[in-house]
Amino acid sequence: MQTEEVRDGRVKKRLKDMEHNIIKSKDVTLLEILDRVLDKGVVISGDVVISVADVDLIYLGLKVLLSSVETMERLRGAPFIEPT
Amino acid sequence: MKVPGKELIYLYCVTDSPRSWPGDEKYTISCRDLYAVVGKVRKTDFGEESLKKNLADFEWLKEKVNIHEQVIENVMKESSVVPFKFATIFNNEDNLIAFLKENEEELGNNLNYFRGKEEWGIKIYCDMAILIKYLGVNNEEILSLKNAINTSPPGKAFFLKKQKEEILIREANKKINEYGQNSFNKLKKYSIQSVINKLLPGEVTEINEDMILNCAFLLDKCLVTPFITAVEELKEQTAGTGFIFDCTGPWPPYNFCKLKKSGTAE
Repeated sequence: MQTEEVRDGRVKKRLKDMEHNIIKSKDVTLLEILDRVLDKGVVISGDVVISVADVDLIYLGLKVLLSSVETMERLRGAPFIEPT
Repeated sequence: MKVPGKELIYLYCVTDSPRSWPGDEKYTISCRDLYAVVGKVRKTDFGEESLKKNLADFEWLKEKVNIHEQVIENVMKESSVVPFKFATIFNNEDNLIAFLKENEEELGNNLNYFRGKEEWGIKIYCDMAILIKYLGVNNEEILSLKNAINTSPPGKAFFLKKQKEEILIREANKKINEYGQNSFNKLKKYSIQSVINKLLPGEVTEINEDMILNCAFLLDKCLVTPFITAVEELKEQTAGTGFIFDCTGPWPPYNFCKLKKSGTAE
């Protein structure tokens, strides 16, 4: 049952991290930041901007395979209802 | 000495009051009531050709992305911000000022809108092994099948086992959908705006559990505490079912700021 323990330990750590977030000193993973700054925020045609293709390249570099995103979406089944 | 032609202007965010950073490269460029928080960056970092190359360099990306976030978060502590996308670059200050002028009204409206509000992010993950274990002892259909397996001859038991596995997967997916949707609906009630984003696969999250919901909420500051309490309640309600919450914030309103038309800098 060691894996269970390890798993439990990790889950607890994550939950503890969350408490940490609540008191506002964020210990946020790079992923959280990338998930926002790469394709969110105001996008304008400045003099140089990262194109969508570039963002995809970064994600590819991070081993995000688009196919697995699709798999996840499929696995999840019906999409959640988007807010209006 | 700054050599002209070797530097570019990096736009982090637009805010409503002037800021200064002693001993730092960041400063504000004003246009009437708007203040653009900018920094001078090297062409070797953010020039069109260098940028493409640098984006593939994970260490470079990590450093620059963190700077981007930190600068905006610092500004956000004291004033309303409109955050820009990573690596929003202008060749010179004149181009940036032209952009500010052209979008003055909309940027101002955004700043007014975001005053007193915070973005919070929720990611929910699911440990399928725990969820399936949970369903194995709590789902009635599964329980009665288990019973049937125990009392059936081997041939039939084999068939029933296969059936049980299929039902387990079906029920797990049903539970994930229900839980994701319910959590989102519950938290949405506290927010002014909300958005559901793409799920990120395990390769990026470096988390074994599957991400089942990735969403963001724009909250009035006075509703942040009730929102967090609601997150805690959801967590308690689902203890032992394999669902894990990641709640982060406050973030700059990346998910909610938009300019209707794209500015032209030239």
